[in-house]
Amino acid sequence: MKLRSIKALLATVVSAGLLSAAGVSQAQEIQLTGPLKGAPAVRHERYYRAGRFDIAPAASFTLLDEYRRTILFGARLEYNITDWFALGVWGAYGGVSLTTDLTDRIDAVAPRDTLTATNVNHTGTDPNNLRKAPFADQTAKIQYVAAPQVTFTPFRGKLAIFNKIFVDTDLYVAGGVGVVGLQQRGTCSPTGTPCASPSSFAVSSTTQIAPTGALGLTFYPGGFWSLGVELRALPFWWNRSGFDTRGGGPNGQFPDGAVTDADSTFKFNTLVTVAIGFYIPTKPTISE
Amino acid sequence: MKQARRWLVLTAALVLLPQGAYAQKKKPPKGGEAPAGAPAANAPVNMDDEAKPANQPTPPAGGESTTPAGGESGGITGPSAGGMDICQVTPDAPSCQAQKEVNLVAEAKKAVRAEVYAVQQQYVIKAQRFEVMPYFEWTFNDQFVSHNAPGLALNYYITQVLAVGVNANWYDGLNADSEFNFQNRRAARIAVPLNIYQLSADLNFTYVPMYGKFAGFGDFIFHYDAYIEGGVGIIRTKPLPIIDPDNRSFPDWNTLVNFDVGIGLRIFINRWLGVVVGLRDLIYSEKLEALTIAPGNAARDKGTWYDNGTHITNDVQIQLGLTFFFPTTFDYKLPK
Repeated sequence: MKLRSIKALLATVVSAGLLSAAGVSQAQEIQLTGPLKGAPAVRHERYYRAGRFDIAPAASFTLLDEYRRTILFGARLEYNITDWFALGVWGAYGGVSLTTDLTDRIDAVAPRDTLTATNVNHTGTDPNNLRKAPFADQTAKIQYVAAPQVTFTPFRGKLAIFNKIFVDTDLYVAGGVGVVGLQQRGTCSPTGTPCASPSSFAVSSTTQIAPTGALGLTFYPGGFWSLGVELRALPFWWNRSGFDTRGGGPNGQFPDGAVTDADSTFKFNTLVTVAIGFYIPTKPTISE
Repeated sequence: MKQARRWLVLTAALVLLPQGAYAQKKKPPKGGEAPAGAPAANAPVNMDDEAKPANQPTPPAGGESTTPAGGESGGITGPSAGGMDICQVTPDAPSCQAQKEVNLVAEAKKAVRAEVYAVQQQYVIKAQRFEVMPYFEWTFNDQFVSHNAPGLALNYYITQVLAVGVNANWYDGLNADSEFNFQNRRAARIAVPLNIYQLSADLNFTYVPMYGKFAGFGDFIFHYDAYIEGGVGIIRTKPLPIIDPDNRSFPDWNTLVNFDVGIGLRIFINRWLGVVVGLRDLIYSEKLEALTIAPGNAARDKGTWYDNGTHITNDVQIQLGLTFFFPTTFDYKLPK
């Protein structure tokens, strides 16, 4: 057994020696100095944004609305310092404001009596003889938004549709600070304008400062124009119904007979925006 | 037996000997310099040297002798190796005449109109593969009660763009009545009937009309596709007692038929794993709690608990999940 092991070991050593005598197997390293040396990964890359102004008329639609849906018409104006970084502003005016089904139902069904006198719009001063007034008139609406913002475009690529249509596409994120003009029910309290008074349901203009962020896709059917769709967040506190819901009782979680800032609740407002972008200069630069 | 082992070892050694034939750096000639016109073994290969086109004869150093210095090479070799070009031996050969007529420098400067596809080869072949997609979905359109749920989708791709599959969501335990709903009830004395879900399950067809790729930060590339889906299935719901919680309890789930449509975006991390975000709408006819309460003992009658009509309901969901493709590997039918 021992002898056989020695023989096997010797045979293995001999085989290994023969193999090692074959020398080092190697492939030649090819260092190209021809047209590919130092060449960029993408040739003739179209820089749709770098050094161009972007003017994009847009329509924005609010989502998950409780009492009012708003369609805002506006535009995005940006200067693209590089192909991936831009400074600009998005602004829009709330051109259309539509009531939701809930608003219509409250208007139609909600009782106008002493229990709802501070919360639901009515006419008349006799608490036992209140008459119906449009509930929609007391609900808040977005009047305008102006948001200076920076835009990063980290992802760019292309999209094939039905294997026939190929569109250059990029994905961007934007962030900024929004100035939001609102119309919402004004302040009322037992010491000032009583909240049961019909005049207290009138809305007044106010302004909110809110962070805003967006995630969007831009499609480039041509070098001069683009199509865009984005999802935007615009979170802030506001009193959308005009109700007195907080400020009294334990931890201020109960109605206190006054409509104040305490009745504003946080809403992560979201909007979907569609836009058509136009660029100046009209022709994008093209890499070598 | 011992003889056999010896022969076996010897045979193995002999079999391995021919591995001396291999790709190897070309060693410079012993005792001599490489020809001036020949690149050194480690020298870069110039693919478009205008001064010395690759198929032009290269005169050796000294200009007279066609034998490289060192004199080891005796055969007819390519000019880049410093040897003799075939056209020097037979300049009248048709192939050599043709080469002379072509101005390679001018040809190289011509614009190339190669047929290049926007996306050369799809990164992931889905045809005849299974997709397993665990996800979580959030209610997107109901401000009164949320129906969040984990879910699982199983699809089989019949072709690269068409799949058939099933998916199911489990909602029970995750339905949540919003505070907004409570505040609204308290302030306006109006209640909105609410329903909660137990589960939904659908048979779906998926179509993938779009695919593409993104370059991230100019550094890496990821591929994605977008799909639309549609199908039919069931959803089990029941009202949450809001109008008359003292008498109504709704212990039983109602099984309803739903139709679903959706769109989604699938971003591939590799050829079998991806991240999915989707938007789906379950459309069904809902049975709601009655807004009126029957007088007297009739309020305890289950027959009076439901609203007489049915209400078309859209449950729009945002989905975020992972997608796994099996088998994890595949072969392309056509070359790149």
